Amino acid sequence: MAFRERIEKNTGNIFRSSEEGKYFPVVSRYTAGVAGQKFLEEIKENEKIFGTRCSKCEITFVPAKLYCERCFARMEKEHWVDVGTRGTLYSYTVAYEEKDGSPKETPSIIGAIKLGDGLLFHWIKESSADDLEIGMEVDAVFKPKGERRGSLVDIDYFKPKK
Amino acid sequence: MGKRVAIVGIGYSTFRTTSQDVNYREMIFDAAFKCYEDAGVKHPREIDAFVATSEDFMEGVSIADEYVPDQLGAATRPVESITGDGIQGLAAALMQVQTGQLNLVAASSFSKASNVIDYYNVVSYACDPTYIRPLKEHPYFIAGLEMMKYLHGTGTTKEQCAKVAVKNKENALDNPNAAYGSLVSVEDVLNSPMRFDPLGLLDTCGDIDGAIVLLLASEEKARELNKEPIWINGIGWGTDTPNLDSRINFGAEAQYAKLAGQKAYKMAGIKSPKNEIDFAEVDDTFTYKELQHLEALDICAPGDAGKLLEQGAFSSKGTFPVNVSGGSLGMGYSHEANGTQKVMEIVLQLRGEAGKRQLDGVKTGLAFAWRGIPTATGAAVILSKDK
Ligand SMILES: [Zn+2]
Repeated sequence: MAFRERIEKNTGNIFRSSEEGKYFPVVSRYTAGVAGQKFLEEIKENEKIFGTRCSKCEITFVPAKLYCERCFARMEKEHWVDVGTRGTLYSYTVAYEEKDGSPKETPSIIGAIKLGDGLLFHWIKESSADDLEIGMEVDAVFKPKGERRGSLVDIDYFKPKK
Repeated sequence: MGKRVAIVGIGYSTFRTTSQDVNYREMIFDAAFKCYEDAGVKHPREIDAFVATSEDFMEGVSIADEYVPDQLGAATRPVESITGDGIQGLAAALMQVQTGQLNLVAASSFSKASNVIDYYNVVSYACDPTYIRPLKEHPYFIAGLEMMKYLHGTGTTKEQCAKVAVKNKENALDNPNAAYGSLVSVEDVLNSPMRFDPLGLLDTCGDIDGAIVLLLASEEKARELNKEPIWINGIGWGTDTPNLDSRINFGAEAQYAKLAGQKAYKMAGIKSPKNEIDFAEVDDTFTYKELQHLEALDICAPGDAGKLLEQGAFSSKGTFPVNVSGGSLGMGYSHEANGTQKVMEIVLQLRGEAGKRQLDGVKTGLAFAWRGIPTATGAAVILSKDK
């Protein structure tokens, strides 16, 4: 009991990271970049998933990148490839915890979906985890056009091919 | 091969799951004081330079490198900060000595995890803002995906992974510096609450607070000091791309461990790691990671680590003891000090100061650390004593 009292007594003396409360008072802006902008716009406007292909390395990067990580080549317009909206399940997991570690009311299935030679990380729905298998085909389900904001989550989720 | 460099001093604070009474700089001071005393260095003025490993978000201040000097006795002295694992800091210190300009360099690392109230936000903030963070999921889902892929690709079983936790937590019972020693069964691990399937609660580590300071010396200086020199024969580190989508065989293998191991082996002139190294402390941040790392470090073939573990090869009485300290599963995860915690065990074992868990006749050891989710960075070091 004494141990607990001691912890509680001292916990009150912890200084929070800002005077306003517990939040770090800095907000960042993120730039999707030249390749990221087009990649996200194609999802938002056209329900298409694009990669960029390095012909030298024979790798199709998904999400699309401006430069090849392997050979350092710049990938221009002619390198853009529509990889379709059907991928294969590279791996999957069931998340039982919320971001803060608290238990989820409904566990979510998260997949690594292979498109081109890259991966998208996204939810798998319309299936139980027991019915999933590495290597199976999954299709992207897009949000209705009016709800798309130019983000990864303009894709609502992936579901096993019917 | 550059000039020979040895670890001539080691000091560490007590390792505890919480430490409300001391702040992290006091913990480092404690470790530094013991380290210098251990080496027989009377005052930090005798030390030429200082290297600290730290990470802003774990310290709760930005530009944290400004907060390095005083606790090491290094105010007004040459100081360098490394944002990385402690073994990367050790590498920086080693290179300073190898310049031939400096004879004694101290390297510090620490964990004050109990002060990091929203650690999940620190890890989440390390994830790609465009392609990972929009999911608003706990970033350990990445470990769940990796483990699933690793099991599927190698045929390793969840039971074999569970046996890593059983072994390491039992080893920790013989280590007074370990906070998570316990006797658990394979069933206990398999039945522990599922976190990110197939990764359960007992496949993951608890946090630990503690600080470790090492003192490095040139060969000439090492011969003058108190302790038997523990030589740094090889060191290496490697980073795959930060992009989860384009890593080489994401999850199935640990490319960063291969890179780090190969570099360290080359520098140490090691051709057959499992025959030329006696024991290892290998990152076990998650149970599957110990097995995956042993394979990547060429201690065994891909897919064989689980089987060898079951045969007892990696037990403290086995042919190649792994994490006799208890590892991170048994000692607790010490964040930036992860690698140094492993180096500490190798040094204690080689000196014959490992108490109840002392291994017989060990001469060469390997320490390997991974920088954790979501990184693809690893660092390896080979230590030995004079034959
Ligand atoms: Zn290329």
